[in-house]
Parts: sequence; structure tokens; C-alpha cells
Amino acid sequence: MSKEFETFKDKIFFLAKKYDSDVQISYSQNRDFQVRYQNGDMDQYTDAGKFKINVLVLKDGKLGSSYTETFEDPEKVFLDAYENISIVDGEDTEYFYDGSGKYLRLEPYDGSFENLPVKNRIGYVETAHSEIRKDERILSDMAVYGDQMNKLRIANTLGLDVSFINGGGFMYAMAIVKDKSPRSAAEFTLGRRPEDINAVFVGNKAREESIALIGSQSVKSGKYRIILRNDVFSDILGMLVSMISAENAHKNLSPLKDRLGEKIGSDVFTVKDLPFHPMSISNAPFDTQGVPTSEKAIIEKGIFRTFLHNLKTANKDGVKPTGNAMGNSIAPINLYVEPGTKSFDELLTALGDGILIIQVDGMHAGANPISGNFSLGAKGFKVENGKIVRGVEEITISGNFLEMMKDIEEIGSDLRAFIGLGGYVVPSVIVSEIDVAGTM
Amino acid sequence: MRRYSKSTLSERGDIVLDRFDKRVAEEILGTVLKYGGDFAELFVEDRYSTNIDLKNGKVETAQTGRMFGIGIRGFLGDKAIYAYTNDLSRDNVLAVAKRVGEALGEVRLADLSLDLRKKELENRHVVILKPQDVRKGTKVGYMKRAYESAKGYSPLIAQVVVHYWDYDQNVLIANTEGVYVTDNRVRTRLMINAVAVKDGQMESGFYGPGAGMGPEFLERIDVEQAGTRAARIAVRMVDAQPAPAGKMTVVISNEFGGVIFHEAVGHALEASSVAKGMSVFAGKLGQQVGAECVGAVDDATIPNAWGSANVDDEGTPTQRNVLIENGVLKSYMIDKLGSRRMGMSPTGSGRRQDYTFAPTSRMSNTFILPGDYYPEEVIASVDYGLYAKTMGGGSVQPATGEFNFAVNEGYLIENGKVTKPVKGATLIGKGYEIIQKIEMVGNDVERGQGMCGSYSGSIPADVGEPTIKVREILVGGRNK
Repeated sequence: MSKEFETFKDKIFFLAKKYDSDVQISYSQNRDFQVRYQNGDMDQYTDAGKFKINVLVLKDGKLGSSYTETFEDPEKVFLDAYENISIVDGEDTEYFYDGSGKYLRLEPYDGSFENLPVKNRIGYVETAHSEIRKDERILSDMAVYGDQMNKLRIANTLGLDVSFINGGGFMYAMAIVKDKSPRSAAEFTLGRRPEDINAVFVGNKAREESIALIGSQSVKSGKYRIILRNDVFSDILGMLVSMISAENAHKNLSPLKDRLGEKIGSDVFTVKDLPFHPMSISNAPFDTQGVPTSEKAIIEKGIFRTFLHNLKTANKDGVKPTGNAMGNSIAPINLYVEPGTKSFDELLTALGDGILIIQVDGMHAGANPISGNFSLGAKGFKVENGKIVRGVEEITISGNFLEMMKDIEEIGSDLRAFIGLGGYVVPSVIVSEIDVAGTM
Repeated sequence: MRRYSKSTLSERGDIVLDRFDKRVAEEILGTVLKYGGDFAELFVEDRYSTNIDLKNGKVETAQTGRMFGIGIRGFLGDKAIYAYTNDLSRDNVLAVAKRVGEALGEVRLADLSLDLRKKELENRHVVILKPQDVRKGTKVGYMKRAYESAKGYSPLIAQVVVHYWDYDQNVLIANTEGVYVTDNRVRTRLMINAVAVKDGQMESGFYGPGAGMGPEFLERIDVEQAGTRAARIAVRMVDAQPAPAGKMTVVISNEFGGVIFHEAVGHALEASSVAKGMSVFAGKLGQQVGAECVGAVDDATIPNAWGSANVDDEGTPTQRNVLIENGVLKSYMIDKLGSRRMGMSPTGSGRRQDYTFAPTSRMSNTFILPGDYYPEEVIASVDYGLYAKTMGGGSVQPATGEFNFAVNEGYLIENGKVTKPVKGATLIGKGYEIIQKIEMVGNDVERGQGMCGSYSGSIPADVGEPTIKVREILVGGRNK
């Protein structure tokens, strides 16, 4: 870590003492590489890096915060945070962590994507593009490759001083195919090592799926049995993240408030928070308050076991902090749904008749984590007798997340990793009944 | 062009833009071209932001911060390379410029002699109060008034979260076509989220007015009314039945209802989709794409609007773009790269979240123009349908036109009258079909504020429309 940061940090710590306060400083350095091709031509290419410093000043249990992207004027940065305390009048007491706990020894990201020649990194998108184009019905295509590296260090005047390097690579490909109206399908993958990214597979999958969607039609409105494919299920699980935040429960913003120990999901539904999963690129030995992360069951065989906490909410509830502070909010490190034994094909057989959902749109608007209600544009495939028979377009799926957790009938073994607010490692699931609106 | 008072500057330390005088800018741009490409551009940003969160009437978090850095971009034909950094030492910035040039490959203009001329622009967005010049306690005072008003609206209101956000963004943009321009964008927004609880059911309501103004905006609007509006939605919806499912006639209220045009049509008119044929509206200029009653514009010149600016993030002066007139497609929204690819002039539509994003074609303040009908007439014309009173956000896939957006406050229309409240409805369809199904356009155009996310990040954008009637749209509700 740079010498400039040390000087900056020393100055901030000195000012904390002078103003009779405690301070915590975090220093995050990012590298960001991304290349996007449309129809085989380079459309966008970014190769860049930056750093950011966050300063939190704690006095009399109140926090003020500021940030900067320059090492200049540490005094101004400190005073900004210090002065912000004066308008804070919340009743909760804030804390810093002294770093005395035991940290998991996690393997940091080794920078293996960064070390690849640019030619190889562009090779991922070129490969995906040529895979997609193996069918003449393809109208256009897009492929994106990216890799990221984040070095984070957090130190405070109570003695905390921890650091970690995270990162990995990802790619995305979309195929658009000609039909009465154009159809699109997309595939995404991520990993910690270059060998985890299979561009041939990603391109193939996008092409095959877009072609399978030719001739898609809507369905009649009604109640259907559905499979939420792992990527779709990870999207919808985003609603749970807000509900399991102890902060949101305290503030009447979670429908799970006062429901610890209750049966909220079906027997087969177990959700954990994992500090490390080999498929994830969001692993962390500590949270943004420097508290050690740990494995925990959030929902165990349908029973709601714990909220996620930061230092403030844990103290308020008289429990141990769970290592889930994420800036101003609370989030899992890796939200992990325990897989079942059935492969994806066996799930289709178990579904029998219903709809396989392969995409939902509008999570940010059509899903309300406070009420639990969702209504989302969707597409997928009609399934009869365990076999895919045709594409399905122009439908919505609607329900309430809390009701849906009880209707999870079967969980697949097809775990995949995704990124949201934290990581997700999630299989596909069968939901026994959901409202579908269609135009037929 | 704005000038800054010295007092503001000294409070904030030296302003980073001053370090990039013409000579320095010329050196950076020249370095890119020395190693490759036929066009180079730099974007320097210095932004100071304040965020305050109020929960249950108490300030929980208060954060201020400064972001700054430089983005350097080069073109070779229609190939674009972008890099950014916030290590602003001369050596580092020139090394980044060199990397951009090298990545472009071919040297075309190695001996370019640049003569940047500063363009003085008339500032159309006068800011009365600089965010830094208003005490945070004053800002909190307005937040608490909004809170009290929302909380007092009904005993069912269990929580009100008020978020305040302002920023003061200074940008400098220079390119090898001789552009050398600065702009100042000040924005202020108040976001209110109210939660109502009844019989164990929770529902929320949101209202988030904003403008391209300083904190004087808080005085211009009625903050109490803003709080009430969020609370009203939550209270109405906690009593609502699930919306019905299926195709029906929908009347979409004015203001934020314009999100339908933003999603269903607007994104598909951006050069980023059109240039490579990834839009259902590609190649359709001059064609009848919508019903004759539909006209729409994208206008970044509206004084002090949420999505306005004097120049776009590529230094092109903003303009009012007529997108659709009498249902005929008149214009796309085009950035510099899109302009090269399409052989059409830029429309002042190059925007980006901040210096860490390469700019691309984006919307600013986009809205459907007013028609002839009073909103009451529009509603009275419907026998059975949905009245979408308050819209949430939405999204779209420009290549297929498939869009969706959420109704946050809905009512049934029965026999020409607004009747029962209904909740949880999402409207979906294909943009090119929906725009042909607009049957009536009201005379009550208003704009609402939101954040629009796309390739170049999340940017402030106004949506807007008068009350409109769509003959048929799929409502994603529940089945009886």
C-alpha cells in the first residue's frame, strides 16, 4: 500500500486525537478492465483504475462520514466527517471494532486475469461472438468480458488494521435471433481463475437458447407450476437480502420483523451466508467494519434462524455481530441456497407440466422487499410431461416473496454463482404455484 | 460559462480543473494521438456531494465527499478506447494517455498541432445557492418537515425514510476537434419513502422530487405536500386488492407515467442501440412508428431541470431534440461515437455517470407532448380498465422492444370512473406495439425525476407525459 496513504492515515489519526474522537479509515484501490463487442466489432474498451478513501469519525456514539479521491487536504476530509456528526440525532449508539477477533484465512485473489495478455482477454469475446454466429438466423450479438481487482484496507484508532484482495473475471453474451419479432437470450458467467470462464459454452448457450425461443407465444392467465432457473432465482432472492437486515427490522422496513424462529419457508429451503465459496468472486474475511465474517444458517429447513447484523444492530439486540456490515447497509457476503440432489433435467421431470422461467425483468421496480410483493415481466419455456415444448413470451409472474418461500417444492443441484449486493451461489427451484398473466 | 466565487473555492481547497489549462490538455490529447487513433478527448471531473438519511424523524447518517479524476478516450474510426485515473500526477496521466493511444494502434495524426479555444457558453441553469453554502442543519430542517407531514398523514404510517442528496459537479471537456469547455452541474433531490402497516401487511409509497438547482429547490417545492404524497400511496395501497391479470385498457397518469415512453421507446432511440442495428427502431427515420396523436421530445435545455446541462459530457452544446412528431420518427439521440457509426450529427446526448464511465448516447428530459384532452375526459372514456396513478421504474431490452414497468399506485376504472385501489401491477409489452396503441393524449403534461441506468452508468433523467390512454396492455396482476 502506498506511502501517500500512510501519511494521509497518520494525519487523520492525529486529528482524531486532537478532536478527542475515534476514527476509521478505509482505502480501496480498484482495477477495472472491460471490453464489449457488438456484432464482432469492438464497441467499448476500458482499462483503468482508481482509489477511494472513506473516513468515519466516532464521537459519543455518533458517526459522521466523508470520502475523497485525493490524498490532498486530509484536514478538510476529517473535518467534513467530524462536522457531519453534529446533525446526527438518531438514538442508536455506533461502535468501532478493535480487530481482536479471529479471522478466517482466505485465499486472496491472485490477479490471474490481470496477468493475462490483453489479446487473450479480448479472445474471450471473439470466441463467444463466433460461437453465437454459428447459426444463420442470428441477427446480431453482443459479448462482454471484464475483470476486476479490489484491494481493501481498513484501520481504526482502536487497533483494527486488516486488508484483503478480491477480484475475478466475468463474461456476458447476448444473441438476437430473427423471428416475427426479434428474440434475445443472454448467458453470464464469472470466476476467480481464467479456466473458470468458458467462452465457448457462454456463446453456445446464448445462441441455442435464442433459437429455441423462436415461435414463442404467451400463455393463458392462470396459476402455474414453475421452475425458477438458478439465474432467475438469484434475482428474486435479492428481495430476501433487504428482509434479513436487522437494521431494516428495527426500522419497520422488513416483513420478517419479530418472526425469528418461525417457519417461513418450505422444509427443503435452507439459506446460509458463507464468507467463502470457491465459485464466488465476492469472498471476504471481514466486513466493512472489520468484523470477522462467519458461516451461518439464515433459514434452516424453512425456519428463520437469524437476521444479519453490523456492530450497531448486534449491540441493540444483545447478540454477537455477524460480520455483515456493508457500508451503510447490511448484506450477506455470499448468500448460499443449499442445493438438493436433482439435476436440472430431473427438475424438469419433477415439474411435469408448467413453465420454466429463464428471465425476469424489472426487479428494481416490480419487486417490493417491504411488502414482499412482486410482479415481473418474464420469459421462458412451456414444459409438458417434463419436456420443453415451446418458448413463452409476454407473461408476468406475480406473487409475494414470503408466500413463495413456502411453495418451494424442490431444489436442484445446479449451483451457480452471481453478483448482487454481495455474492449469490444458488441452484434452480420448483415453485408449486404462482400467478401468471398472459395475453392468450 | 459560470465563474466561481473565490470564497467557495478556498473552502474546498484548490479546484482540480485549474490544473488542466490549455497547455496541459493539449499535451494529454497530443500524447494519445502520438501513439494512435484519429480523435482524443479528456473529461476532468471534480464533484462534491452530500447525502443525509433520516429515519423515524432522526438523522441516522450524514456523509459528504469529493470525487475527482480524469477520463481519457480515443477513437480510431469507430473503435473506442477508454481509460480513467485519479492519480493526477503528470507522469501518470500521460502514461494513461499513451496506453489509450497504443491500444488504438494505428498512428494517424502524429504531428497534430492543436489549438484549443475556450468556448464561452451562456449558462441556462442559474443556481442561486451553492450546496456547500447552505448549512446541513437547514437541509435537515426541510427533511424533518417532509417526515412530519408523511408521519402525520395517517396512524397507519409505521416508518418514513427521507433521503437528501445534493451535488456540485464541475467538469472540463477538451478534444482534438478544438473543444475546450467547462460546465457546472448542481443538483438537489429529496426522496421520501413511507411505509404503512395494517393487519400485518406492509406497503410502501415513494416520491422523489429533484431539480438542477441548489438547495433553494427545497423552498421552491412544498416539502409537506411531498411527504403527504408518499404517505398517501402507502396508505392507499395497504388497503388495496391485488391488481387483476390480463390485457386491458390502461390510463397512465401524467408526470412520472412518462416512464412508459422512456422505457418503451426512448432507450431504443439511443445511438448505442441504433448504430449497430440492436434496436427495433433502427432504419425507421421518417416512418410512422406511433399513433398520430403521439409527439415526444428529449430536451436537455430546460432551465434547471433534473436532466439538463449546458453541454453534454462530450462538450457538445445540448439541444431540444424532437424524437417523434405526429407519430413519425424524427430523430435519434446521438453521441460522438454513434455519430461516426451512423454518419449523422451528434445531438448533445453524450452522457455518463462520472469520469469512471465512457460517455454514450443517453436521454436527458424526455417526455410526451400534450394533446387535446382533459384528463377527466380520458378516464371517462374507459368502461373497464386500470388507472396507473403513480408509476415506479421500469426496464427495456432495446433489441427486442420488450419493456416492463411497475405501477406503484393503481385503481380500477369502471364505467368511466376511478373506483377501487389495486396493487402489485406490472405493465409489460413491446415498445413498437405500445406506441401505436396510444389512443388519447391529455393536456396536462408534467415531468418527474428519476435515475436512468445504462452502459454509461446511472444518470439523472426526467421522464414526463400528460395523461394518456393505451388501448391494450398486459397487466401482470393476480388471477381470481
